[in-house]
Formats: sequence, structure tokens, C-alpha cells
Amino acid sequence: MAHQAHAYHMVDPSPWPLTGAIAALLMTSGLAIWFHFHSTTLMTLGLILLLLTMYQWWRDIIREGTFQGHHTPPVQKGLRYGMILFITSEVFFFLGFFWAFYHSSLAPTPELGGCWPPTGITPLDPFEVPLLNTAVLLASGVTVTWAHHSIMEGERKQAIQSLALTILLGFYFTALQAMEYYEAPFTIADGVYGSTFFVATGFHGLHVIIGSTFLAVCLLRQIQYHFTSEHHFGFEAAAWYWHFVDVVWLFLYVSIYWWGS
Amino acid sequence: MYFSLSELRVMAEDIQQKLEKYRTAPFDARFPNQNQTRNCWQNYVDFYRCQKALDAKGVDTAPCDWYKRVYKSLCPLSWIEKWDTQREDGTFPGKI
Repeated sequence: MAHQAHAYHMVDPSPWPLTGAIAALLMTSGLAIWFHFHSTTLMTLGLILLLLTMYQWWRDIIREGTFQGHHTPPVQKGLRYGMILFITSEVFFFLGFFWAFYHSSLAPTPELGGCWPPTGITPLDPFEVPLLNTAVLLASGVTVTWAHHSIMEGERKQAIQSLALTILLGFYFTALQAMEYYEAPFTIADGVYGSTFFVATGFHGLHVIIGSTFLAVCLLRQIQYHFTSEHHFGFEAAAWYWHFVDVVWLFLYVSIYWWGS
Repeated sequence: MYFSLSELRVMAEDIQQKLEKYRTAPFDARFPNQNQTRNCWQNYVDFYRCQKALDAKGVDTAPCDWYKRVYKSLCPLSWIEKWDTQREDGTFPGKI
């Protein structure tokens, strides 16, 4: 039987890229079908296929890395580059929405009354729930760092506690933000103010949910002894993503909630 | 910005001279670029603010006519009509 004479991972053939691509096709065409023919079947099918793809693809990566030992140092380095590049692409994604916000708010048009916030808009008080949200996310940044150090120091129980706390703080943020959305005196349809506010904060909220899910998966893995004190890249990737989400919030808070009021 | 009644009278005389010599909107360094939308908006709003302020004092609103001349020179007629209608309806978004 031949053995590989290198430290890299030649991945076995996998159906998940194909199912992922099919899911993307079904979701996009499903969206169009929903808009024009009022049927959500195709889109729902695409969504289910997407969820199945994500679950199985990532499950396979965990099998390859944690159980089969394929994630050697050079492989892990590649994964690090990958995560960094992905987060960078997300930075550019948000940069676009910040561009849109500043374009409209720095030179408010006559239709808005030549002022920002526009005439008729009562913005949220930045020193109420939004400030609490800032504290919650900053605290979660501390707890996730605590979790990291706990893992590195082999403190199993503390790692579980601090990771769980981080996730709870994430849920608390999401709950507070959902309540803010419900109670807000303006909607997404309220001119460019509503558009920039809800699209930017909305995508951020989605990323909080994604980040919380990623951390929750790490919690389950930590409980099941997947991580060692030397090798826990899945957790590190989740922590990087979480810090990124926190930083985006800080920019949102200062720009839209505070300066924009 | 508050002026005494005598200062207002002197300014009114200067304004009359400026209004007589008026040809078109002069260069305004506050709006140096090609897009003059803000110039139109500012003068429109300034005219009605000036009128409101001087009316409240019970003083002649003639000095305000400078702003009127400028916005009449600069603004598209459709904008003026739209904003005039909005003011009548109470839906004008600017602060007057």
C-alpha cells in the first residue's frame, strides 16, 4: 500500500461541493419563483439542501482532521489563510454598506430636508439599548479569549463555562436587537435612513447568529474532547470570526447609532 | 444673529442697491463645485427663514429678496413648484 511522501491533505472525492452548488441554484431560482409565482417550494428545497451540505461537509472536515489526523501543521496553515481571507472578504462586504450609509448621510438631499437624521425620523437613543449591546459584545470578546486560554492551558471545565457564557452573551445581543427592531419607530421602508440602518444592522445581526452557531459547534466539540491544548483551529477560527463581528458592531455603533443620530 | 432696528434700516438700503444691480446668482464659495443643488436649496430655505424671522420682528422683509432672486436664478422651476406646494401642505421637509 503506498503512503503519501508529503504533509499535505489530498482530499477524497466528495459530493458536497456539487450539492452545495445545486443548493445555490435552487435557492436563487427559488427566490425568483417566489417573487413571481408565490411558491416557496423550490427555495425551501434549496435551503434544506444547503443545510444538509453544510452539516455533512463540515462533519467530514472534522472527521478528516480530528479523527484521521490529516490536519498537519502545513494543512492547518492553509486553513488559517483560508479563514483570514474569508473574513477579509466579509470586511469588504460590510465596507459597501458603510459606504452607502456615509454617501447618504454626509450630503443629505433636499428630499430628506437637507439634514441627517432626515426630517420625520426619530433615531434610537445611542445611550440606551445600543450601548448595552456594545457592552454585551465587548464582554463576549473577553469571555471568548478566556475560553481560548482555558483550552490552551488544558482547563476543560473553564473552557466549557467561558465558551457557554460567550454563546449566552451572543443570544442576549440577538434578543435585545430583535426587541429593538420590533419597537423601533421607523422601518426599512422609511427612506434611505431606514434602508441603510436595517440593511447594515440586519446583516450584522445575521453574522452574530452565524458566529454564535459556530461557537456552539465548538462548545459541543470541546465537550466531546475534540480539542487539544496544542491543536484547536476550529475554535480559533470561530473566535476570529466572533471578534470580527464585534468590531463590525463597534463601527456600526459609532457611525450609525451615535454619529448618525 | 440679532440686529438693531437702525442696523436693519441701513442694511435694507444696501440690499436695495444690490438688488438693482442684480443680473444672476454670483459665485458662492460655500458651493464651489459643479453640483449646485445645495446652493439652490440653501437660498430657497434662507428666503423663507428670513421672511419668517423678519415678520416675527414686524420689520420690512425686503432684505430677504436677495435670497429669492438667487434661488429664482438657480433652481429648476419644477423644484420651486414642488417645494411651494409642500410648504402649503405642511409637508416641506426643510426646517423653516
